[in-house]
This record gives sequence, C-alpha cells and structure tokens, in this order.
Amino acid sequence: MNWAPATTGYDEVFEADGRPRSHYAPLISIMDSLTPEDVERRERLQKLALMNQGITFTVYGEKEGLERIFPFDFVPRIIPAGEWKTIQDGLVQRITTLNLFLLDVYHEQRCLKDRVVPPELVLSRKEFKRELLGLTPPRKIFTHVVGTDLIRSETGEYLVLEDNCRCPSGVSYVLENRALLNRVFPEFFASYPVRPVKEYPTLLLDALLFVAPRPSQSPVVVVLSPGIHNSAYFEHSFLAREMGVPLVEGRDLLVEGNHVFMRRTHGKRQIDVIYRRIDDEFLDPLTFRRDSLLGVPGLVNVYREGNVALANAPGAGVADDKAVYAFMPELIKYYLAEEPLLAQVPTYVGFRPEHFRYMTEHLDELVVKTTGDAGGYGMLMGPFATRAERERYLAVMRQSPGNHIAQPLVHLSSHPTHVDGRFRPRRIDLRPFILYGDRIRVLPGGLTRVALRDGSFVVNSSQGGGSKDTWVLAPREP
Amino acid sequence: MILSRVADGLYWIGRYLERAENVTRLLLVTEETASEVVGLDEDLARAEWNDLRVIFPGPDREDAPPRHPAALAQAALAELSIDPRHPYSILFSLRKARDNARTVREALTIEVFVNLNETYRELEAYDERRIGDGPTMRSALSDTHRGILSTAGAVEQTLARDPGWLFLKLGESLERVVRTVVVLRAKLPALASQEPKVDLPLFHSRWRSLLRGLSSLENYRRVHGARMEPADALRFLLFDPHTPRSLRFGAAAVKDLLEGISGAAALSAPARIMGKLAAELAYQGEDELRDGRYLPFLDHMLDELTRAHETLSTTYFGT
Repeated sequence: MNWAPATTGYDEVFEADGRPRSHYAPLISIMDSLTPEDVERRERLQKLALMNQGITFTVYGEKEGLERIFPFDFVPRIIPAGEWKTIQDGLVQRITTLNLFLLDVYHEQRCLKDRVVPPELVLSRKEFKRELLGLTPPRKIFTHVVGTDLIRSETGEYLVLEDNCRCPSGVSYVLENRALLNRVFPEFFASYPVRPVKEYPTLLLDALLFVAPRPSQSPVVVVLSPGIHNSAYFEHSFLAREMGVPLVEGRDLLVEGNHVFMRRTHGKRQIDVIYRRIDDEFLDPLTFRRDSLLGVPGLVNVYREGNVALANAPGAGVADDKAVYAFMPELIKYYLAEEPLLAQVPTYVGFRPEHFRYMTEHLDELVVKTTGDAGGYGMLMGPFATRAERERYLAVMRQSPGNHIAQPLVHLSSHPTHVDGRFRPRRIDLRPFILYGDRIRVLPGGLTRVALRDGSFVVNSSQGGGSKDTWVLAPREP
Repeated sequence: MILSRVADGLYWIGRYLERAENVTRLLLVTEETASEVVGLDEDLARAEWNDLRVIFPGPDREDAPPRHPAALAQAALAELSIDPRHPYSILFSLRKARDNARTVREALTIEVFVNLNETYRELEAYDERRIGDGPTMRSALSDTHRGILSTAGAVEQTLARDPGWLFLKLGESLERVVRTVVVLRAKLPALASQEPKVDLPLFHSRWRSLLRGLSSLENYRRVHGARMEPADALRFLLFDPHTPRSLRFGAAAVKDLLEGISGAAALSAPARIMGKLAAELAYQGEDELRDGRYLPFLDHMLDELTRAHETLSTTYFGT
C-alpha cells in the first residue's frame, strides 16, 4: 500500500521518519497484505450493509426527509491503554465538575459570588433556565449522558474542544461502526485486545433507572424523540431498541394529576424516566417555548414535583456553553482543588471587551463560534475565509459580542483514511461518551469523526464528515 | 400493551405491505393474461388493463387512457409499479410501509426492517425506461414480489406474538379482504353474465386468471379439479374456508385478530362489526349468490369493512 504521512499537525499512525507507531504496526502490516481489489470489494459490501440496514441520518436544509449514510472509513483509530487512562480520568474529573457547577448555578451560585465566572456571563445565557432555580434533580445528577469532543495538538496532547451536556449524539455509530468493521474486515481484530463497546445500552439503562423516582416499582423508562425528521432519529430508535424501552414522541405523552403517562391502545401507563432527545426549549410549551409541538404540556411541572426524572436535566445546557468552557480549568480547581488532567484550547470570550477587541483584530487567525449553536453551524474559520466573508461575519459579531468566542486554529491530528482508492491523511477528532449513574463511567471507545475533504478541519456529519471505528486497547497482561 | 401511535404504525405497515403484494401480483397476472390474448381479442386485453385501473384508481387525469393495448399496458405498468405519485403504485405502498417502519422500528426486528428496506430500495432504483421491455419488467416485478413475500416471512419468523403483531396482522388481513371484495366487484359483472356461446376456452381462461389474481387457482384445483365451472369458482372465492383470499376466510381472520386485541370478554366496536360480517359469510351467505345478488352483498361488505376500519382508529389509535 502507498501510505502518505500527514504534512501538518500530529500524525496518529506514523512517526516523523515514516515508520508506523508501535501500536499501529500490526494493523499496517495486515493492510499492506490487502490488494486494491480486496479493499474495493469490501468497501462495496460495507456501503450496501449501511444502506440496507437503514443506518442513516437526515440532513437539514436540503429537501425534506433526505436520508444519507454517515460515511464510514474502515481504517480504525487505535488508542493505547495508557493514553486512554489519561482521557478517562480527565473526563471523570470534568463531568464531576460540570455537575457541581450546575448544582451551584441553580442553587447558591457560590462560583458567581466568588467571581470564578462572571455572573453576568452565566445569567445571560439562554441555556440558563431561571425557571429551574432552586430545583435539585433526582440524585443531584444533571448530566446523565455527556459527549466531550477531544482533539490533539501538534505534539499529540489530547485537548478538550467542547463538552456536550444536552443531547450529545453519535453513540449509535460507535456501536454500528464496530459491528460493521467486524463484518467487513474481521482479520483486523485478530492481533489487538480491543475493548468492547456493546455494553453501552445496558449502562445507559442502568444510569436512567438509577434516577427513577419510584425505584422499587419496576420503573418505566422511555426515549423521547422529536420524530422521524430529526437528524439523529436513527439513534433515538436504535437506543430504544437496544435498551428494550418504548420510543415516544411528545404526542404520545400526556400529563394528568402531576404524573406523566403514555397513551396506549388499552389505557395509559405512568412513566418514571424520560431519556429525552429534545432540546430544553421544546420540552414543555407551558414552561419554555409556547409554540413547541414536540413537547409535553405540563412536563416540567411533573419534573418539579419529583414525579419524573429527565435525562439530561433541563437547564444543563448552561454548562456546555462555549463561553463557560473558557472557565473550566478554574472551575475544576475551584470545586475539586485539583489541576485539570486534560488541557483545553485557549479561548477568547466575546463577553469580555478586551477579548472581543482582540478577536476583531485577529479574525484571520481565529476560529470563531457562536455560543448557542452546535453541529458546526454558524462558525467562521478565519484563516480560510475570504476578506468579504470575514467582513460579513464581523458585522454579525458586533451585533452580539457576548454570543461569540474565538480560538486559535488547532491543527487537529490526522489519520490515514481511504479516499478515492488511496490512503490519505485526514483530520480527526474524538467524542467519548460519559454516563453518570451510580458513578461516572466512560465508554471505552468513542466516535472518531473524520473530515473527508482534503485539507478540511470540519468533521461534523452535517458538513461532509465521516467516522471511524475507535479502538481502546485493554492493558497488556503483566 | 403498546403505544397507540405504534399500533397505528404497525397496522399501516401490514396494510401497505399487503397492498403492495396485491398490486404486484395483479400486475404480473394481468400482464401475462393481456399479452397472451391481445392478438386474439384486443378488446379483452384492453378490458383486463382497464379493470386494473378500476381496482387501483389513480389520481384524476385529463387525458383518456391510451387506446392501443400495448400503450395501455405500458401506461398501467408504469403507473402502478414505480409512479411515486400514484396512491396504489407498488413504490408508493412500499414507501409508506417503510416510512411507518422507520417510525416504529423499535417495535420490529432487524430482519423485517432490512427485508422491507432492501425491497423498497431495489424498486426505487428501477430504471423507468426499461418498463417497455416486457421480460425485464416481469423479472423486476417478480423480484419485488419475492422481496415482499420475504418481508412477510420475516414478520412470521421473527416477530413476537404480542399486541404489536396483532395490529400488524390486522392491517394485513383487513387489506386482504378489502382487496378481494374490490377485485370481485370490478371483475364479476362481466364474468358472471351469460356464458358466451363462442370461445368458451377464452372465457374460462379469464376465470382462471381471476383465481390466479387472488392467488387461489391452485387451491381451487385441489378442491374442484382442473375443470373450470364459473359457479364453483365464484362460490370458492366467496366461501371457501381454507383459501386465504376468500371472503369467508378473510372476514374470519380479521374477526379473530380483533377478538385477540380486545379480549373476548368485552368486545370492541370493530370486533362486533366483524363478528356479524363473519357470521353472515359463515352461515347464510350462499343464498345471496343466486340471480346476481352478490353485487349488493359485496357493496354491503365493503361498507362494513370501512366501518370496522374507522371504529378501529377511534378505539385504539386515538385519531
């Protein structure tokens, strides 16, 4: 095979001298033994399997109901046990902090009074839900499921890019990618102690049952989806199927006498835990957006009464705000008296006038994001934008400086990826999934997203990204 | 018990799958019958295609259907197979079945979904320009037919016999008996009139194709032998207790499923409607046959089946 090491940023697979890193050597040697015809044939099988199984997502902004397969690259990403240990410990520390922060923000607001984070910054976020002040979610858990995005610096250090504390998606692809790779390239697995990911639905269900208000009475758990037109619908359905619980939409639920029920063919049934994949805004038209047709009128009141658990808890979004992110290292020290185990990307917060001035003056060096958006929408890649694009973006920025943050362009690491019949370096990130139940667990694996276009930094599925199977290796026997 | 929305979705999967199967089968049978007789009796070939357009009515069109039998055949084939706008095209039904399957996928098995999805995707990819080529089209329709049957097989082999299954089978059974009524309603007036003095073999072959169109020809022969007696065939299609597309069998199947869903102790409104209808077919129906009185009876059946469907929605689906 003809391999090409990365020319910029950290290369996941190859050393500077072009030899594979030790944990990649067996894989590279297996792949070198494949003919291009082998590869082509197996890639065809793999695409067919994805289409036939309906493993698709919906793209917004194109014609309605357009289904696409999420492109899958069969060259797996391998994370040695030692590296994973750092990631795992760092994530546990982070999620612990995020929950302490949320509990604080919705109660005493000590961190604001102590000026660890500017109060105005937190209180002005639209994700901060004034309606929920003073409310403690069951077992004090706000973020039952978190997906934290990691990237690697030029030296290979893992950096946190952002936390997703609302409805992080992608875990279904972690499981499907593994099944798919095993089906199409089973020989890859022979020489590696790959840790399984199949436990995820069981762990998720355990975490959800852990917060049930009536734990003794075989609690009823459901997955709440906005419906088939949502881009992550496949995942909602997948998780419901894998956990063996009903998938419901808002119209299937009703609130009566401060309990929430689902409508069934023969009468209604009370629900205890809702794994909701609907944003806060749409959850309950009586509390949040009045025009929401996706939600359940009265749901938040039932939650307030403690008669239903919502995962993730409403209001948790304020913790993954891109501006709050800038203060995470301080928050970790503040709540845990520990140094952060995972570094993060330096961040300029538009909320601070001196930062905003810097942002406007160095737009051509910075990646600017809006604090409310996700999925790569509403961002500017300064170094690659034309002058006109920057000017236009600047005008928008000036209308709401507080809603923007900026970071220097981090080069992301690259990984060989099969593109047009050749193996080429493409940029990747990593989204591990963290569950918070009786304790915090990190799924040994994650979604490695890959920017399939040459030179691209954007890995989001909505913007031409694909994904890879991600192997976390078990520690070797002593 | 299951969510009302899921029950509704499963019911429609059953209906649309069965509908797609019916359209595919009738297209295959009609295509074969019509192309065989077109040289012998052009009007008959035309009538076969026009019957199909009555059984599966499309959106109103300004232009009259083509006169020439070959053009008529091609138009009907195109409409009823892959026209995405025709409400009775196979593609339309399969898409509806699949859309419903996607919304209730957690209530299905991977086998059911994959079979349905593959069948749909293959038909969707069919090249319209190849419709004119008879053998190719026939082979594509046969593939679709096989895909639909294997989906039905996956339903049979893999789904738990829970309330969801009952609703899926209910949709299938109701669609099946409705379609038999509609086919008979369209075909019988011409067939049950006086037997023609000339060309009896041709007349009998039309009866045979009616039986085949309701996948009952082989079942009929096992009871009555190869000899075609229109009166026997009619009685068979209405009252045979074993063939799945006879009216008696179909009404009883719907009734049994509805009783299974509602529980025998407190019969639901649709279960009562179907109970009466099944009893009519079981105990007094044969008299209705004489002197062409089957037509009002078929109309009566269609009314009752429609009523059963409507009360089903209000009873279980909350719509």
